Amino acid sequence: MTAVSREDAMADVVPVREGIFREEAAGGLLLGNKCVSCGRIYFPKTEFCFDCFEKTMEEVLLSRRGKLYSYTFGRLPAGHFQPPYAVGLVDMPEGVRIFAPLKMTEDKPFRIGMEMEVMIDELWQENDTRVIGYNFKPV
Amino acid sequence: MRDVAVIGVGQSIFGKFPNRSAASLGGESVSAALADCGIPPKAIQVAYAARAYDANCTAQGVLKEVGIRALEMVNVENACAGGATAFRGVWKEIADGRYDVGIAIGVESMTTSPIAGKLIPPEKDDLEGYLGMTMPGMFGMVARRQMEEYGATVEDFAVVSVKNHHHGCLNPQAQYKKEFTVEEILNSRMICDPITLLMCCPNTDGAAAAILCSMDVARKYTTQPIRVLASTLLTGDYKYLQKDICASPVGRKVSKMAYEMAGCEPKDIDLVEMHDAFANEEILRYEDLGLCKPGEGVALLRSGATKIGGRIPVNPSGGLLALGHPLSASGVRTICEVVLHLRGQAGARQTPNAKVGLAHMLGGLVTGLEHGVTASIHILAR
Repeated sequence: MTAVSREDAMADVVPVREGIFREEAAGGLLLGNKCVSCGRIYFPKTEFCFDCFEKTMEEVLLSRRGKLYSYTFGRLPAGHFQPPYAVGLVDMPEGVRIFAPLKMTEDKPFRIGMEMEVMIDELWQENDTRVIGYNFKPV
Repeated sequence: MRDVAVIGVGQSIFGKFPNRSAASLGGESVSAALADCGIPPKAIQVAYAARAYDANCTAQGVLKEVGIRALEMVNVENACAGGATAFRGVWKEIADGRYDVGIAIGVESMTTSPIAGKLIPPEKDDLEGYLGMTMPGMFGMVARRQMEEYGATVEDFAVVSVKNHHHGCLNPQAQYKKEFTVEEILNSRMICDPITLLMCCPNTDGAAAAILCSMDVARKYTTQPIRVLASTLLTGDYKYLQKDICASPVGRKVSKMAYEMAGCEPKDIDLVEMHDAFANEEILRYEDLGLCKPGEGVALLRSGATKIGGRIPVNPSGGLLALGHPLSASGVRTICEVVLHLRGQAGARQTPNAKVGLAHMLGGLVTGLEHGVTASIHILAR
């Protein structure tokens, strides 16, 4: 079940952070931005370019797939996450490295370098609210 | 700029003390430092104190315990480098000629803080923290890269912990004085794969204090002033500039700055006290500090050079892993340990004929910036 399904319309749905992802029919998309002057791409978006201080930035949609740079399994509760949970760093073709929760699958153990795909998913529930964000799962 | 010396050092008991206040632990370390150099409380002209959790007028609260009041006091927070930041604050005051004698204090009461018994949480609005980033999580991911790229094994990580726990057994002030085997380290509870419980520093309550003095005035109080050759503090850059999470860009920059300021090279250093919050981290810092070439940290560990009795003992105190890690105290405590070795007063863990020592601290996780975002190195000599 994806985060934006209509089945659970009663519960409030809130994004973990506004404006950093969206979901389309083809799947999840992460929204970054790009400096019009030097071309550096940022995720999450920045107000200006940290490299050259250019103020004009344009939105870019990041690729849906990247390569797993590293990962670990948390065995202690951390914030909203109950163990065991997986987190990792994914290198995107645009040159950004994204920290995100990872979705564990039964048949594809994580390994460095494997291809990962971004998903928009419920991350946790708080009171009557479903908190939606992104994670990555092995392709 | 004037030459500055450390003339007094003191450490409180380290451990878990839910019934002791930060002021009481801090006061214990200050009394020890005053006794160490035999100066009266009235001689102190300026004070800097570091504390990360529940901090409110820390210097004032600590120093009233020992009769020190009515002078300039400054409180700082700088993650694990807080204590080193306080030390550097006092060093600057004296080097610049504003004062002749000052005290740096680092104190933390982890068990009475809001994070008691938990992982250190990120700042409330920190995106990555919200998404499950933790300190051991970060070092778990770093450890996998060390294994993938540099040939490290989980046994290597365990060996660091075995070494530092052995060192802790030689230090009467260590929180843990217990030997462990590689198997025991590996079989302890998994925290963030492949990091196990005994590869993580404990939560610790404790304090440390150092009394600094201009070199001219120091000779009035002691025949063994320990000179501060270098004092450095630097914040890291944006994370996208860190290609390899096994190398700390800020750690390498601050290390270059420190050696230049001290006018010495890594080969001149006789002992190192460093931030080993996680066992695998110590191997990375060998490289950041130039104790070996980049990529050769694992080989340096395996050579045994960083044990007591080796070419360059690292964390002879037991390090954060065994001595304990009261966050803001550690940056002062590492300097205190180096001072004891330079004076020849480090007992069973003494580095023979130590002339120059290095104290390192690194810490802080902030989304968007390199992990371990604040770094400090002090180099001291007799």
